[in-house]
Amino acid sequence: MRDNHITEILDNKPLASINETELATIRSHVAGCASCERAYEAAQLSALLIKERADEAAQNSLVANPFFQTRVMAAWRERREANVSALRRLWNSTGALVTTMAATTAALAVLAFVAPSSETINQPTAVLVPYSAESVVLDQSDNDQVTDDQVLNAIYSDDDEGR
Amino acid sequence: MRRYSPRVFHVAHRFFRDRSQAEEAAQETFLKAFAQLKSFEGRGSMEGWLTRIATNTCLNLIRTASRRPELVTAELSEDETDWLEKKASESAGGHHRDAEDKVVARDLAERLLEGLSPEDRLALTMIDGEEASVSDVAEMTGWSESKVKVRAFRARKKAREALEKLLGRNR
Repeated sequence: MRDNHITEILDNKPLASINETELATIRSHVAGCASCERAYEAAQLSALLIKERADEAAQNSLVANPFFQTRVMAAWRERREANVSALRRLWNSTGALVTTMAATTAALAVLAFVAPSSETINQPTAVLVPYSAESVVLDQSDNDQVTDDQVLNAIYSDDDEGR
Repeated sequence: MRRYSPRVFHVAHRFFRDRSQAEEAAQETFLKAFAQLKSFEGRGSMEGWLTRIATNTCLNLIRTASRRPELVTAELSEDETDWLEKKASESAGGHHRDAEDKVVARDLAERLLEGLSPEDRLALTMIDGEEASVSDVAEMTGWSESKVKVRAFRARKKAREALEKLLGRNR
């Protein structure tokens, strides 16, 4: 029998549930195979250790902390309060801003749709803006412009005086 | 809560040997259960539902603090080495175990299990340690039966090989 075969029997199920036939197979194989003998030994120790650990877990679970329930309830309250106060903090920091923005939007909506000014629509733009863009930017009104005659006079008046 | 505490603690102690860690896990389990109470539709038992939450909580906690050192001879205490040698020389079954012997065995068991993944460890502890059936473990964890079998097989093999190495080095 190959070494692989016996380790497979050992690993396939708990050692305690290996049946008589399988046990006989293991024993007969182990008698002539040193590495499988060690594997069998290790499997027995492993089973023993795991059983011991399970017994310990069962024993420990019987010893209850009398304050455990109080501790859990306190933690539960704390967690709930933390959730509520997080929302409250968010509202405290952004509430004023949100309210102002909502009020502004509402006011603009009223001005735009509910009470539009009819006079503004009918009034021509030219009347509202008496100055041209050029006059405002260059500060040159039409009235300030000199005529051709004035220019000629200004040029030739000196010559006339000289004569 | 008083009614289900023993069950939840039993699950927690499977994973955590340290009492405070087990309590931490049990507390987290109850807090999750309170938060998800609406999702429990009364289809299964409350105990089964809590057991599953406890198992998942413990698995997550272990994964978070994941440290799976390989068990090596150099790390064994003198007591542990003696225990191994003594047990190896005894015939199978572990006779006349005194209290001190048990403590050493439990320390060694914990170190052996620390080398396994949380899932493998759970399968091995329940099936080999508590003699639970594959279907029990499957129901408790929500895994398929084949997954439970594979996990247990792998864990058994790994634990055996780790001990085999130790036995080989100690001789």
